[in-house]
Amino acid sequence: MTITKNVDHNTLRITLEGRLDTNTAPQLEAELKSSTGGISELIFDFSGLDYISSAGLRVLLAAQKTMNKQGKMTILHVNETIMEVFEITGFVDILTIA
Amino acid sequence: MKGKISGLSVKLIASVLLLSVLLCAAISYMGYREFTTVLEEEYNRSAYEIAETAKTYLNPDRLDYYLETGEIDQEYLDIQAKLDALVVSTDSYIIYVTKLSDNYTTSTYIFDSVHPDTGFTRYELGYTAQDMDPAYQEEVAEIMTTGERSAVYFYSYTQASGAHTTAAIPVENSAGEIVAFLGVEKAMTALENARSTYVWNVMGITMLAVALFLLVYIGFLRREVVSPILTIAGEAQRFAEDNVARLDLLEQIRKEDEIGTLARVIGKMETDIVQYVENLTAVTAEKERIGAELNVATQIQADMLPWIFPPFPDRQEFDIYATMTPAKEVGGDFYDFFLVDQDHLAVVMADVSGKGVPAALFMVIAKTLIKNHAQAGMAPSRVFETVNNQLCENNEAGMFVTAFLGILEISTGRFTYVNAGHNPPLAALGGQPYDWLPSKRSFVLAGMENVHYRQQEITLLPGDRLFLYTDGVTEALDPDNALYSDSRLQAFFNEVDLADKSLEEQLALLHQDIAAFAAGAEQADDITMLLLRINETDGRNENG
Repeated sequence: MTITKNVDHNTLRITLEGRLDTNTAPQLEAELKSSTGGISELIFDFSGLDYISSAGLRVLLAAQKTMNKQGKMTILHVNETIMEVFEITGFVDILTIA
Repeated sequence: MKGKISGLSVKLIASVLLLSVLLCAAISYMGYREFTTVLEEEYNRSAYEIAETAKTYLNPDRLDYYLETGEIDQEYLDIQAKLDALVVSTDSYIIYVTKLSDNYTTSTYIFDSVHPDTGFTRYELGYTAQDMDPAYQEEVAEIMTTGERSAVYFYSYTQASGAHTTAAIPVENSAGEIVAFLGVEKAMTALENARSTYVWNVMGITMLAVALFLLVYIGFLRREVVSPILTIAGEAQRFAEDNVARLDLLEQIRKEDEIGTLARVIGKMETDIVQYVENLTAVTAEKERIGAELNVATQIQADMLPWIFPPFPDRQEFDIYATMTPAKEVGGDFYDFFLVDQDHLAVVMADVSGKGVPAALFMVIAKTLIKNHAQAGMAPSRVFETVNNQLCENNEAGMFVTAFLGILEISTGRFTYVNAGHNPPLAALGGQPYDWLPSKRSFVLAGMENVHYRQQEITLLPGDRLFLYTDGVTEALDPDNALYSDSRLQAFFNEVDLADKSLEEQLALLHQDIAAFAAGAEQADDITMLLLRINETDGRNENG
């Protein structure tokens, strides 16, 4: 998985490519831990993401909880497979998917 | 190591020998050169002295007269006698006085005294010889015109008379004119013999010195270099074979030079390696212990799931069968089923996020909580709402569980269920093919507090079947990373003839189908499935 970060003022934009699963989720978790300080808007771009596993969902949930305290979080360009996962797991109800 | 010639010794000795031979040759050659030069100069100097003496015997004003008249008077004879005596007394070869032609090619003899031992006879007065060596003409011209000694001395070697040197000086008359050429040839007989003796002496002494030096040096090398290095090499070899550090031999090499350093370093290396191996062994043992414990943990986890089939041999209203195939490491999938009371059967299918020990621990908590609350007679939605809030407490790790819980009222077939973010089950109802059980979407357990879980209800009739599973089934990968998918799963149940198969056989066939799809690709996630079938109440029990 490739993680690309872009910071513009208080907005952090993270573009993911590949698979967000047990092997790659810790990588994203570490990135988020080190970069979300002082961020008021977190944007995920999922246009290049093919798959998300429960480990990936866990990282998203943690990010959502963090951003609930300090701003907002949006997920862009979610593909059909991942959207299905979000729907099954009820994540659609707690995430902002645009 | 004594008596045994090591490769190192041979190389060192050979190199020293080669050096000695070169040194010896160089010293001998330089000695030869130096000796020759000195001796030749000495001979030449003595020849010039003789020439100067001979010159005093002459009466230069009369020389031309003798040549012109050819007259040999008493004075001539006296001079000749003196010169003859001088030749003999100085052990010279020839002393001669000649008049040279203008171009210095011929010489006309005035006096010629020859040493009797040479066996030659003298050239008489007036004898003219074309005997000037062209190589010397320039030198002679220089001598005759300037009256100075030649910068080089004449040196020649003939087979007959051996090496000899020539002194040549001009003879002036009383008016200062150069009237004749006086030459002295002196054999350097001593040169040859003395020189070879000298060279042999030099060589002999050098070789003796070198031999002595070699003996001392080899002894030194053996004691100071070869022997310690052989000890170190032997010690290193021994260590390579038995891996036991033994420092006694190395500690005997007490030196402050590089060899001492080498010995100390090898000793330290042995100790370090032994230490390292011990550490590694300990770490490996620890790792094995942890691995063994993890295996036990996996086993305990598997044992926590009901695994004896049929689980309720006396209940013939339904059949149930379930399996869990863990991926490589201990995971977070679980299924569960139990009788809440004589009329209520609960079925659970769940998946904890992530893998490994954290997921397994969380699974144990989740499973226990769900079972406890369900057995207390709560409705499924209440069970999940309570369990969710309990799991959310102190969930710093941010784990969550997707879960499906259904409670079947056996007497009526009423099936009440709730889905917390889990894959919807497949259900074959009323003789229809398998389709997804309508489930209202709800959030996962432990994700957020105070989530409302929506409960649903259907009625199961005899012959109806329900298949619960985790995403390990639908997300099994083939070598190209394609998913097994919902559609393949649905197709398996509807297209494969399962009519006469027991539930166990059906799940085994599904396993085979997934394995065939994966085609050797590694199983990434736990594969967990549960099949429930409602039976005709005529007492038939097909449970395998």
